[in-house]
Amino acid sequence: MRLAYYPRCAEPLIGCRAGSPLARRSLSWRHSIETKNANVNAMIYTPREVSRTGGPELPLSGFTVAVKDNICTSAMPTTCSSAMLRQFVSPFDATVVRLLQESGAAIVGKTNCDEFGMGSMNTFSIHGPVVNPYQPADSTTPWFERERRSAGGSSGGSAAAVAAGMCDAALATDTGGSIRLPASYCGVVGLKPSYGLISRWGVVSYADSLDCVGVMAKTVDSVAKVFTALSLYDPHDPTAASSATRQAASEASLTISHSIPSQGSLHGVRVGIPQEYFPAELHPSIVQPVRKMLQHLRSRGATLVPVSLPSTPYALSAYYVLSSAEASSNMARYDGIQYGSYVEPPPGMDKTKTANVYAYTRSAGFGAEVQKRILLGTYALSADAFDNYFLQAQRVRKLIRADFDRVFKIPNVLQEGGTPSSEGVHVLVHPSAIRTAPPLPSRDLDPDAEDGAILDAYVQDVLTVPASLAGLPAVSIPAGVGDDGWPVGVSVVGQWGCDDVVLAVGKICEECN
Amino acid sequence: MLVHARKPWQFTRILRCARLAHTEREARKDDRWPGWEVVVGIEVHAQIKSRAKLFSESWTSDYSVPPNTRVSPYDAAFPGTLPRLNPQCVELGVRTALALDANVHRQSAFDRKHYFYADLPSGYQITQHYAPFATDGGLKLDNDNTFVRIKQIQLEQDTGKSTFDPLQGLSSIDLNRAGTGLMEIVSEPDMRSPEEAGAYVRTLQALLRAVGASDGNMEQGSLRCDVNVSVNRKGAGLGTRCEIKNLNSVKFMMVAITAEAYRHIEMLERGEAVPQETRGFNEASAETYTLRSKEDAPDYRYMPDPNLPPLLLDEAYIDTIRRTMPELPPATRARLIALGLSKRDADVLMDIDAGRDVGAEGAVAYFDRVAAGREPKAVVNWITHELLGQLAKRRETFADNLISVAQMGELVDLVQVGRITGTAGKTVLRQMLDTRTSDPPSMIAEQLALFSAQSGGDALGAWCAEAVAALPDEADAVRRGNVKVVNKIVGRVMQISRGTADARAARDALLKMLQ
Repeated sequence: MRLAYYPRCAEPLIGCRAGSPLARRSLSWRHSIETKNANVNAMIYTPREVSRTGGPELPLSGFTVAVKDNICTSAMPTTCSSAMLRQFVSPFDATVVRLLQESGAAIVGKTNCDEFGMGSMNTFSIHGPVVNPYQPADSTTPWFERERRSAGGSSGGSAAAVAAGMCDAALATDTGGSIRLPASYCGVVGLKPSYGLISRWGVVSYADSLDCVGVMAKTVDSVAKVFTALSLYDPHDPTAASSATRQAASEASLTISHSIPSQGSLHGVRVGIPQEYFPAELHPSIVQPVRKMLQHLRSRGATLVPVSLPSTPYALSAYYVLSSAEASSNMARYDGIQYGSYVEPPPGMDKTKTANVYAYTRSAGFGAEVQKRILLGTYALSADAFDNYFLQAQRVRKLIRADFDRVFKIPNVLQEGGTPSSEGVHVLVHPSAIRTAPPLPSRDLDPDAEDGAILDAYVQDVLTVPASLAGLPAVSIPAGVGDDGWPVGVSVVGQWGCDDVVLAVGKICEECN
Repeated sequence: MLVHARKPWQFTRILRCARLAHTEREARKDDRWPGWEVVVGIEVHAQIKSRAKLFSESWTSDYSVPPNTRVSPYDAAFPGTLPRLNPQCVELGVRTALALDANVHRQSAFDRKHYFYADLPSGYQITQHYAPFATDGGLKLDNDNTFVRIKQIQLEQDTGKSTFDPLQGLSSIDLNRAGTGLMEIVSEPDMRSPEEAGAYVRTLQALLRAVGASDGNMEQGSLRCDVNVSVNRKGAGLGTRCEIKNLNSVKFMMVAITAEAYRHIEMLERGEAVPQETRGFNEASAETYTLRSKEDAPDYRYMPDPNLPPLLLDEAYIDTIRRTMPELPPATRARLIALGLSKRDADVLMDIDAGRDVGAEGAVAYFDRVAAGREPKAVVNWITHELLGQLAKRRETFADNLISVAQMGELVDLVQVGRITGTAGKTVLRQMLDTRTSDPPSMIAEQLALFSAQSGGDALGAWCAEAVAALPDEADAVRRGNVKVVNKIVGRVMQISRGTADARAARDALLKMLQ
């Protein structure tokens, strides 16, 4: 689906010195955008000129990065894939965008996503769905006519842009799995860092207590490189982890985070396999690649330990109550007065009630999924439901955190007096998704008709929301393909602040391929 | 802000005892509604006098600032913005809480209160609904022994301001005020008359200004009151309360309470029940009117703010603020009276301060500085009678006073030691106010030849000079030899000296001057 709102890239690359890393790579990424994007629909805006800041000595010099469209950029629109923000250009850059530029990265465009980050398929977007660029190796059909499968959501555009070679890395956000799921479906690496490590200033809020900015790329090294450039304390983010907390976490994980990369071995590393992450809904064809990955880790010296996280079954309900409640609050500002096109209420409507003035705009401007979550969240916060829903979900969230703290060997520096057992594990490994990328709904089909598929999409989140609720770092790594030849991902989850450990284990997982 | 070595917390001890004694108010006789008891509780919203807003770096503003010029992306609820708590607002809040002898909590939290309104760009107001930072305080009123318990104090955001133009059918939104820090100070229903309610607000205003936390100006909207009124028969339980919103002066608040009390009594006497309502007040008709019934009360869907971490205040922080607390009004009054000032003089000085803007030097502070090392009663007379009197004649207030502490001090000294007479001192004061000069009074006295005769502080020379200056025609006549006319000038000298001059000596001196 092509969109008329913004110019797509058509100009030759200007402002790049010949022989610079960016110029050398530009052919490939620019070519990928030009040839594939109309089909994949990953990038929804590309600037006419890709500007590059700083010299070649900077850590991300020559690195091309795409940015999810719910992250504010002052030089490009930030639509959040919503009609509400169709014309919106932010007056400021998100901290992560500024840091990218200061590190020498070139921002090549904005990526498609589910509206305000709400969705698991990247189908709820005014820019249209993202089509997974993957094609099984043995396929004989031309790429342009490949099977139309979902890239996952909500960061489907970021995952697909990386998978299709349109950029070296992409920024994305993950509230309940929005990075790890598309990474798994598209066969790329996706990191959701520990909550609070990367600044959210300039990231359009969906559910603030869960939203994390993360990185997607083809390799763990590329992800780590960008993550290192972004993982800095930002005084503009009140939930940013302080330098002291970062230091404490770094010290807590010191022995393990240093020994893995230096020796390339997992000797002494205890890998937990959480039994609750193999639910009935898990597709049988996922199990084999995961098993192969676990064997690989054992062959590298890891000790595999079966563990139980007993509160996991309640995580999904708690997640949807909390995220929807926060979403209903965060979406309140989109009233058609400041943003979005205003829809005049019908004649006779009592306009002295402000809610009536906004209602028609909000009904027209928000898509079906966002409206559904606003309604759910509004109910959960109403006086009669608050105790049974919101507070109950908060209690479950605490239980989920306690589950993780109980199984990890490394203490949680955010919790006082935590004494993890020596029997604990360093990381958890589990499948990232219950299946490979699902087919996109037929273009003619009303998405609302497919309630069953939507419920499946929620069930999928069982594997990803616990780490979100606990604020833990999790990275999805490609782990071969399922029976259908489509990518499978495994997730490595660590204690809060142990992002380096998670990436180091992830890097060894990567070698399995 | 003046910091006194006295211990303000000793005063809080007294308050604490007073609170215990006043938790049960006994019924009071009121001729307006015999047999009935009126019960009033007040929610005060006081704008915090901080440089920047509660959660953003844009500056706070008053009405003089052009609309929408002090608005950051956060204030306008731009997507991607996040709040950052301004520590100055917290400090001023804690100061207020300590001044109200409230319990400042080590941990409190911020919540979102949701409703749709055009001057609330984010669709929610950040407040402290579930865990306010201070609870259980109290305020002893100035005028009598009434003690009002303070239920809680919370920090919250102010909204923007909307003005409706009925001709064009347009609402204009000014976001300058949006996000300014407010303290919501909630009293228990401890007031029993409109007058007590008025005294409560006035006492609170003075206290807020004394601690520098708020201008507390109702007319300009930096202090706003919502009043809960209920009426019950003496001895019976509390009646159903109605809340009156948007009252913008103490006077109208008292009128509104009176009107509401009569309305309740009339309904109850007709045998009707008073429905719980939120009401507005019409200043022109002096009547309250229904805004919304209890059934229409909005569900604000309070939710803990997911961005703001808990507000943690440690003991050391609170102690530092306690140690640097400015003197509170009751302590100031007691101290001034101990210096020998009459209660009336003390009230004159303190009433000026009650109306001043925070930050401007107050009359008490001015008095304190001038009185340092001087006779307090003489100083207060010069300030309250002469200075304020002259300012009032010029239709100016104390805030317009340009006479420095040094000038005022020297003037008092010149008169006290007799180098100039009191009358000459007033002339010097007038001259200083007229010319807005920064010259020392001694120089002005010199120029006006107001110094008393050099003989040991004798004022006669100055009086004669002043009399000659006042009667130039008569002086000329004497100079031309018409000696009898000198008696008229002597009369003026006696008048100037309030009869203290020696008439014979004055005659001699004048003849000498005019030869």
